[in-house]
Order: sequence, then C-alpha cells, then structure tokens
Amino acid sequence: MSYPYPSHSGISRRNARGFLLLAFVVALTWRGSAAMAEPTKAGQFAILAGKVITMDADDTIINNAVVLVRDGKIERVGKRREFEIPDGYRVIHAEDKWLVPGIIDCHNHTAGSLVDLNDMVYLTNPGLRTLDTIVPGTKWLEEARAGGVTTVLLIPGSGTNMSGFGTITKLAGKTVDEMVVRSPGSLKIAQAGNPEWYWFGVGRSYMNYNTRQTLMKAKNYHESWTAYEKGEAPKAPTYDPIFHDFRGLFGRMYPASVHTQIYQVVMTTVDMLARKLKIRTVLDHSTFDGFKVAPQVLKTEAYTINGPRQYWFDYTSRKMHGNAARWWQGGVRKLGINTDAPVVPQEELPYQAAMACWYGWLPYPALRGVTRIPAEALVVDDRTGSIEPGKDADFGVWTGDPIDPRSSCELTVINGKIAYDAKAKRVF
Amino acid sequence: MKAKAIVIAGWLVFSGIVMPAVAAPPAKLALTGARIIPVVGDDIPSGTILIEHGVITAIGEKVSVPYDAMEIDVSGKVLFPGMIDVHSSRGLDVANENFSVSPFLDVYDAIDPSRRFFENALRDGFSAVHVIVGNNCVIGGLSRVVRPIGLTPDEMTFHTPTALKLSVAPKHGWDRMRQMAELRETFLELKDYLGNLAEEKYEKSLEDKDEEIDVGPDEARERGEKLIRPEDYDDKHRNLIKLTRGDLDAFVYCGTASDISRAKTIAEENGFLKHMTLVLGVDCFKAVAELKSLKRPVVLDPQLLYRERDPITGKIRETFVPKVFADARVRFALQPMSSGSLAERYLNYQAARCVRAGVSRKKALRAITINPAKALGLEKRIGSLEVGKVADIVVFSGDPLDFNTWVEKVYIDGIKAYDREEDARLKELLGQERNRLSKSDKGGDENEETEKSESEEPAKAVGNKQEDGTDKKSDDSKSTITTEDQPSD
Repeated sequence: MSYPYPSHSGISRRNARGFLLLAFVVALTWRGSAAMAEPTKAGQFAILAGKVITMDADDTIINNAVVLVRDGKIERVGKRREFEIPDGYRVIHAEDKWLVPGIIDCHNHTAGSLVDLNDMVYLTNPGLRTLDTIVPGTKWLEEARAGGVTTVLLIPGSGTNMSGFGTITKLAGKTVDEMVVRSPGSLKIAQAGNPEWYWFGVGRSYMNYNTRQTLMKAKNYHESWTAYEKGEAPKAPTYDPIFHDFRGLFGRMYPASVHTQIYQVVMTTVDMLARKLKIRTVLDHSTFDGFKVAPQVLKTEAYTINGPRQYWFDYTSRKMHGNAARWWQGGVRKLGINTDAPVVPQEELPYQAAMACWYGWLPYPALRGVTRIPAEALVVDDRTGSIEPGKDADFGVWTGDPIDPRSSCELTVINGKIAYDAKAKRVF
Repeated sequence: MKAKAIVIAGWLVFSGIVMPAVAAPPAKLALTGARIIPVVGDDIPSGTILIEHGVITAIGEKVSVPYDAMEIDVSGKVLFPGMIDVHSSRGLDVANENFSVSPFLDVYDAIDPSRRFFENALRDGFSAVHVIVGNNCVIGGLSRVVRPIGLTPDEMTFHTPTALKLSVAPKHGWDRMRQMAELRETFLELKDYLGNLAEEKYEKSLEDKDEEIDVGPDEARERGEKLIRPEDYDDKHRNLIKLTRGDLDAFVYCGTASDISRAKTIAEENGFLKHMTLVLGVDCFKAVAELKSLKRPVVLDPQLLYRERDPITGKIRETFVPKVFADARVRFALQPMSSGSLAERYLNYQAARCVRAGVSRKKALRAITINPAKALGLEKRIGSLEVGKVADIVVFSGDPLDFNTWVEKVYIDGIKAYDREEDARLKELLGQERNRLSKSDKGGDENEETEKSESEEPAKAVGNKQEDGTDKKSDDSKSTITTEDQPSD
C-alpha cells in the first residue's frame, strides 16, 4: 500500500545525507505531484475539495469539505471547518474542484482482449468467463482512468444469446488478481438483435425458448444444491463447473446484464428474467422504443442502463426522443448510462450522460446514473459508487461537474492510490 | 435548474408517450339507435345492444336499458361483429424459424405488441388476430388468438394454445416427398418415444419395488402406458401428443389442390382429422369436392382471383375462388392480404369483392366473422352479435361492404379500444387532404351534420344494391373483372 508518487519536498527534507543520493531520488520521483505535500504515512492522505458529491442515499453534497483516505478506504468525510486533519496525512489541495465518486460502467468490452469477445460456440454458452481474458495495463485502461473511470464490468459480446459471465474490475493494478472486484460479475444475456445472425438466422421464438431452457436447467441445478444444503436431499448433486456460477445468479448475489433493445425485446427481458425467473436484471442499452416498457419495469427491481445510443428518432411521429429522458418520464429511477466501450470510448461515459441531458434528462440524476446506480445494479454498492466512510477510496477530482463537457478530470484515485494525476502526466 | 426542469417536463409531456389507462371500463354500456348486423340472425334496422361486464346481454329493437348503463348514441351507424384475422404471422419478427419440426415453440416468445401491424388491425376493425407461424415449415409451433391492443402478449392474449401449425406443402427448397417423409417420420418417432417412455416407466416402477422385469417389451409398454403422467412428456413431443389425442387443433397449410388428400391422410393416421382447419393455397378450389367431404373449416388464400393460362390455346382463364366454394356450399373463411398497402388488407373489402362476384351477401359477411371464429373453435365466444357473446363490436360509418365506409369505433370486451376521432396518426395523415376537401364545394365529409344529409345517402344506396345481389354488374365492376372471365360455374 505505498503511495506511488512520493512527493519531492517531503523526501528532500528527510534525506539530507548526500547530494548523489538526493539527486538519484529526485530524478526518480520528479514526475510525482510536486506541489502538494507534508510528511506522511504511506496510504494516508486528506483531500481538501471545494465540493464533494457524496452520492449517498440522502444525496448529500458538502461544500468546502475534507475527505480522509486511509489504507485504501475512505476514513472520514466532513466540512473543512468541522475537524482538524490528523498528523501523518498528506494534504492534497483541490479547494476549487469537485470530488466525485469514481465513474462506473456496467457495459465494457475493453478491459480484456477484443479477439476473445465473442466465442460463438453455441447459441447459449453458459460456461464462458471473461475472467480469462482480462489484460491489465493497456492504453485503453490508462485513458479510462484519465477520464475518472474507476470500475467497469467487463462482459462478453452479444453474438450469442448467452455469452458467459462477466467480471467486475477496478481499472488499476498490475495483475488480474489486483484488478478483480468480483468474478462472476454478472451473466451476459443478449436477446434478439446480434444473436439473430447466429447459424442461418434465428427468430425470437426459438431464441427465447432456448435461453429459457438454459436458465431453467441452471435454476434446477441451483435448486438441487439448495435442497442438499438445507438437508432436504441426502446426496450432493454432481458438481457442474458450467452451471455452478448460476447459483449466485439465482441466489441474487449478482445480476444478469442483458443486451436488449426495441420494445418487444425489452418487454421479453423484463417478463422472462425479472418477473418470472426473479433474477436481478440490468437492462443494458434499452434503446429505440424500449422506454415504452417503463410500466412493466416499474413492477420489477430491474435496473435500466441506457446507451450508447442516447436518442431515438421515431419516423412515424417524426419526433426525437431522448432515451434516458423517456425512461425517467416513465417513472424509472433506477436509471443509468453505459458506453459499450469501445463502441463509445470508456472515458466518454460522462459525455454520454451529458448527451442524455441534452435530450431532456437532468444533470444530477445523470451523474448518479454513472456512479451510484451502476454500483447498485452490479451489487457492488457496499464497496464503491459513493463517498462514504468505509467504502473504497475510488473518486475523481474534477474541475467542475463531470456532466459538463467542459470539465476535466485532474486526479483519479482507485483503492486509495492515485491512479491518474494530470499534473504528473496529462492524458487529455 | 427548476425552470429547466419544468421546460423539460413540459416538452416530455407534449411529445406524448402513451401510458396504459388504469381506469376501469364502464361496467354497463348501451349502444343505441344503430343499424345492427348480427351476422347470425336477421339485421335490425334500428336497435340497441346492451353490454354488461364485457358480454352482450341484450340485443334488439327495444331493449330495456338498466338505469346504471352508460348510454352511447350511435344512431346512423352500423354495428357489426369485430372482424377476425384468422391466420397471420405478421405480429412476429420472422414468420418461421430455421427448423423443419419445431412443435415446442410458442408465438408468445416473439409477439411484438408494438408492431404497426396490430395498430392497423385495430384501425381496420379487427378485434381478434390469430398469430401463427408461417407456412414455411413442416411442423411449426403453437399459435394464439390475441387482441390487437395491449402492452404485453399476456395482456393481448384471448385464447391459447389455439392450434399447432403443420404444412403439407414443401418448405422452401424442398420437394413434396421430403416434406411428407419428414411429417411421417415425426409421427413415427412420436410413437417410438411414447413406447420407450412407457417401457422406462414400467421398468422404473419395478426398480422402485426391487423387482426384476418380468414381461416382454410389448407387455411392458402396455403396462407402462398407464404410469405416464402429463409432466413426463418432453417439450419436443408434448404438443404432438396433445394433437394426436384431440386436445389441440391443427392448422394445416395446403399449397395446392393435390395437397388436400395428403393432409387428409396424415390427419387421419394421427388422429386429428376432426381437429383440423385447412389453410388453402389459391388453386386448392380444384379439390372442392374433396374438401366438402372432409367437412372441416377452410381458410382461403387472400388472393381471391386465380388466373391460369391454357398451355395449348394460350387463353387466360380466371376463377373467383370464393364463388366456387359458395356454389359448392363449403363454408369458408377469408383472410386479409398481409401486404399493408393493398386494399385486400381490409377484410370487408374482401367480402365486398365476393358479393361483386356473385357470392351472397350473407355468406360473404359470415366469411369474415363467424366462419373465422369457427375455424378457430371460438364460435361460442366471438364472431357474431348474440346474447352471451363477448362484446367485440365494430361501429361502421355505413354499410360494411360500401367502400365509403370507415371504422369509427372498435369495442373489445365491451371496452372502447379504438376511436377514429382520437386516432392521432390518421388525423395527421388525412389532415391536409381534409382541409383541402372542406375548402372546396364537396366538403364537410367529416362534419357530423352534413354527413347525414350528404355522404350517408349514396352510401346506403350502393349498399342496398349489393345486398339483393342482382344489380351488381354496374359500371364500376366492369373495370376489373369481366363476366366472360368467370368459369362456367
């Protein structure tokens, strides 16, 4: 847990032993964030922020605030004048900036190798895992961090109806183990659209039948294990590596991320997964006229994560519809935004949210829709998605509202470590 | 911020997303003063239909209307049973899957309530649509009868499962031998499956009692048969079993006249001869005698006119198909053309064409209402205006067979599902035209008062002309079909 960029001034005061050594250390650390620092303990710092958007349940916003970070977690959040910063905390000055929870994308394909995106073996492939494809340290990840993105859900493509389990990763870390938050992160399901091109072409009656069959098989597997664990069945069922991860899905520990768009398809998703199978459901994309399903969505606990298309042009009424705005108007509040990176670059997630506002949505719910809402949707809100004591120190320091395209991210912190510092090396 | 929110909210409301109505429909409704064409029974020149909780409870010239019924004056209009689209795959994304045998599929999984097709169906006066997989199959999936309105297939569904689709006409790229081989093989495999299942069941029952198998396979199968429960059948066979036992109807597509006998054979061998509706290709009329002897409902091809060139003389011979069936006294149902841009999409137009070609008005009207209901096995619930039936009613502006007539309202289950006055899309499409007309001297066709005095009169006259069937060959019929083109019958 060492701070990767020890400050120049701090080290120079402690190390007056010899010019050579000093020069060596200075040379090593010159690229560090030179300006802000006091003698510190590793992994502890305090950020003085002009405005903290906590994104907690009460939507608290604190002006002139301090955020204390210790051992990768947020230790304390409060008003600057309400408490003294304890000794041993390096102070980072950002009094003219916004501190915003790390941005989270529910629908990402760039944290892994793109060639492995779509293994179209069968029409449903419950045995595949994106955990096997993660590539740490790519340029894509560097750019994403520079855009204030801290967590993504890496999911397989939509070439088949069920393309495997995704992985939730932080965007910092040198190894896969360091990056991973949870695997399986979610089950990827794709309904209609892309999978229609499988084989010689498939229609919705067979696709839905087949997806349901696979899920029912998995559900039976889960139920036979549950019965065994409760002592209702004498013998343990045979372990099946393909279906074992579905236990968490039917145990509601993680969701299904569903590629779904167009009214009838979204309707089927809600009906089959959220209503009948009672799976935690995330309606990814949910574009075109999908927003008309809002009344059905409201009857379930499904999350709607809109994008990357932000508008739909209805040729009949000759009207432009902002997708997110329509969902919001339909009463849906569990509403967020995705990029489908690389379809839209990962770091442009706030820009996607800005477009949603341009087409009628509201800025604060849009910001929530790229932070807290995706964290809830992916069931990682106990760890990230808001600035609250005890949660992972994942946040960005911005020149203004991230939803305003004029703002830029100046500092990104992931797991309490500075993962991007524009003062050291500016990307955008 | 607040101001912006208000602007946004206003903009959203303005551009109008349609949310489902939560309010309950009026429990009792009386449609009064209209001419009623009940299809089954005599026309009532001016009468009342009383609807209570979605069902017709009284119909006649004089009906005592309960004090708590909502009275709706439809005088000058014509009340007609909601029309039935007896065979349609247009509510689905694709008509057929890439399978030859798929009896496990259900159109439920592919019905798209947002399809423009359903909206148009309602606008055209349909109150029920039989959504079924297309003809390009050997055995398709389960069909269902839906209302052309609703947010989900569940909301739309009126009856399910209605039928299993079969085809004796070859799939694209197949020949008839392969088609029939596949059909026979499917039913043979079914017998095999049932036998094996019975045997397994019997063996299992012995296993449970720790007994050795004591009889030969034939006997074991016989004994095991009684042990099978419905939930033992797998998806692939369940619906075929229902079909062969008469618990499920079949819609069998016959592409050409010779297919009729093949359909009969396969149905007879597998026990659904009495549960079969035949969907006919255009030239199947040539087997009309055989069809008559089958005594099963038939659905005619939407293309009503059959043209055939004599290979020797080169002369073109035209046959108006429904006339052949009417003359042979075979009951038939008409279907609308699936292409949305042709007049044949209107079922009342199809019926009007029949009248022009000499089919009696009564038979033509039955072919778009009660006969489709019979083909679907739903004649006890829909297809006519009778006491006890579901209140599916079309309010026409005039006679259903008059080309000037519009669908003004559609009641489904006694609830107003369509109102031309509130049809925003139609208003937008016709707005300019209407403005142009109202400025010229002819104008005012939408104004209620002038409608009665001007447009209604000629409409009635034309309707009467067709009604008696004698004066039909007026100048407008000459332009399309000449009498010499008709076959001798």
